[in-house]
Amino acid sequence: MDELELLKQDWQKKEGHLPKLSYDDIYNMIWKKSSSIVKWIFYISIIEFVFWALINLIPYNSESAELEKTWNTYGISTVLTVVNYVVLIYFIYKFYRNYKRISYTESSKKLMKAILDVKRTVTQYVWFNIGIFVAFLIITLYGSLKYGPNSEKIMEAASKAGNEVLFWLMLTGIFLLAVAMVLTLIWLFYKLLYGILLNRLRRNYNELKKLEV
Amino acid sequence: MNKELEHKFVTELQNNQNVVHKICSLYTNNREAHNDLFQEITIQLWKAYPKFRGESKFSTWMYRVSLNTAITLYRKSKKRIKTQDYDSVIFKIKADEYDETQEQQLKLMYNAVKQLGDIDKALVFLYLEDKDYSEIAETLGITEVNARVKMNRVKNKLRTILNP
Repeated sequence: MDELELLKQDWQKKEGHLPKLSYDDIYNMIWKKSSSIVKWIFYISIIEFVFWALINLIPYNSESAELEKTWNTYGISTVLTVVNYVVLIYFIYKFYRNYKRISYTESSKKLMKAILDVKRTVTQYVWFNIGIFVAFLIITLYGSLKYGPNSEKIMEAASKAGNEVLFWLMLTGIFLLAVAMVLTLIWLFYKLLYGILLNRLRRNYNELKKLEV
Repeated sequence: MNKELEHKFVTELQNNQNVVHKICSLYTNNREAHNDLFQEITIQLWKAYPKFRGESKFSTWMYRVSLNTAITLYRKSKKRIKTQDYDSVIFKIKADEYDETQEQQLKLMYNAVKQLGDIDKALVFLYLEDKDYSEIAETLGITEVNARVKMNRVKNKLRTILNP
């Protein structure tokens, strides 16, 4: 392509027309704050870790433990809490390790993969937490209906109105619908958030990856 | 010690700043964005500098960090480059160096390159800098064969832009 050769010649001669920054200009720049997406992903991730840890771990006090004992759900809740802690530690470790792997001195493809991996870890963590959250919800709902103070009345009303199986089926249906709606909202939120942040990076990464097929 | 490192880095970057300016001019459309990207690249270079062991030349190492910053850095600029924006770009073609046809050709060519995607621009940039395919491949993280294939596709793309 002749034009490209012409461009190459011109390109090599460009030096004279380029801006020249002084020593002080550059010196001042190295202390400025970075605005790269990696930093944003890091901040958002920290917020997510803290947010989900708070939602799942803090509301747990002795009062709720007592309540759970009367609902016969104490055992399973404790197991879930322990699992939650262990997995949280695992995810923080994995996040940190992936984050450290981000290096601008690697090849473009490796760098982009490292950034996407960090994001993936956080997404996995969030979905795991949502899972735990829903599990807690089911256990609590079931416990309070079956063993709570008003459970007898509810059950009675249910058996009077029709049959108990239908009651449970309807309840499950409503519950699943509500969960599905909340999950869709969260999913949309993430799509938007990371879509804005990572669209370009993902596109570039896929472009390099596509070459290998 | 730290002061020494700072001094060494700033001096080296000052001497090699052309590379960064060229990348900035390819990836941005106006002076302000140019300066922003230059600053971000400088920050990333400085952050990575302690790991630079002098195995490669400073300039070679710089290509990689600078391009990576340009490709991965978030910059929402969906605006297509219009011809009138061309003046804001630092690439001005000196009329007395070329005849009219060449000058016209060059202008169209620069415009075409600016319309390419991020990765394609990186390839063109390295090509214009006279890097061989093994270095292009290594910088982007693809195989040499794929770098050649990709470069051919870029040339085709440029052809299509120039002769729609």
